[in-house]
Amino acid sequence: MIETIIKCEHATKKFGDRFALNDLNLEIPKGKVIGILGENGVGKSTLFRVLVGLTRLDQGKITVLGEQPNIKLNANIAYLPDRASWYQDQTVRKAFEFGVKLLPHFNIERAKQFASLMNLDLDMKVSSMSKGQESRLMLTMCMSRNVPLIILDEPFSGIDGTSREHIIESMIDYMSDREVTILMTTHEIYEAEGLLDYAIFLDKGHVLIADEAENLRREHGSLHDLSRKLYR
Amino acid sequence: MDAKQVGSLQFMIDFSLPLYEQILNQIRSSVAKGEIGLGEKLPSVREMAHSLKVNPNTVMRAYQELERDGLTEKRRGQGTFITHDKDKVAEFRDDLAKEYILNFINSMENLGFSLTDIQSYLKIIVREGHPHDRNNH
Repeated sequence: MIETIIKCEHATKKFGDRFALNDLNLEIPKGKVIGILGENGVGKSTLFRVLVGLTRLDQGKITVLGEQPNIKLNANIAYLPDRASWYQDQTVRKAFEFGVKLLPHFNIERAKQFASLMNLDLDMKVSSMSKGQESRLMLTMCMSRNVPLIILDEPFSGIDGTSREHIIESMIDYMSDREVTILMTTHEIYEAEGLLDYAIFLDKGHVLIADEAENLRREHGSLHDLSRKLYR
Repeated sequence: MDAKQVGSLQFMIDFSLPLYEQILNQIRSSVAKGEIGLGEKLPSVREMAHSLKVNPNTVMRAYQELERDGLTEKRRGQGTFITHDKDKVAEFRDDLAKEYILNFINSMENLGFSLTDIQSYLKIIVREGHPHDRNNH
């Protein structure tokens, strides 16, 4: 029996006339790295925002860690939004102090290690950072929390190849040490190929394919190739 | 597809095929070829996953299968080791040989050759010498 961490039943969300989520039914397995894949506008970011309680469904039901999305639940979820900057006037060090005070289960030692891996200087000011550096800081804030669920919206966007490799290796180490479910969207499927052990391809707000990555590889080849076939 | 070295083991990982089977088969053949010796320690799941850039769940699955085969033993707090049992490895080499030969027979039968045909081809090849030997002379 596979335990599920997230369950969507007939989840529907409309923005104007456009369905962002259209009768979405989904069970997301626990303890895996799950790729939510698809082109822009298929509903990936909306799904994530619903999971962390930032957006409400019009119809249907979603449960996360056995509960309906709510603020309290977010103590157990590390979320990297698709666009964000919270710490403009601060340094990396200050951001970490903020993390210790305000982010549940934030581990500052881990944050410092991650930052050095990401080439972030502790005294660097957020306002003087490039887009890529800022993304790396945001990701550091997420990956430094000991939580059962991590949700990453495009963690590799604006991040160069070497840092991407470091991020993937860090995720692998993180997973080796504890049970965690990582849900991520990415356009760089090629780079995350070995990391993903479950893939969900969305189109127009509903599920095209959801299966173990190994099954998909056996039937269709690499996830990258499958994605190219699906969204041709 | 690039070659990756993890401890004494070499891997070629192709992301268009199931990963756990590749890890499993490549460790199996390293054992069969003696590239990793009896009683030798396998890299930890963490180390293997990190070096191959593969999810630890995938590596764990391959390790569990090796243990079920009896090719490895887990020692509490120490990690996973190749079995000390020589017979076990010999038996495994036997199985591997049979598997390859069955695959070969299968392909030949698909081409329309009978077992008798295959035998006569093998006899000819044995008489003329192994192709590798011929190349060397």
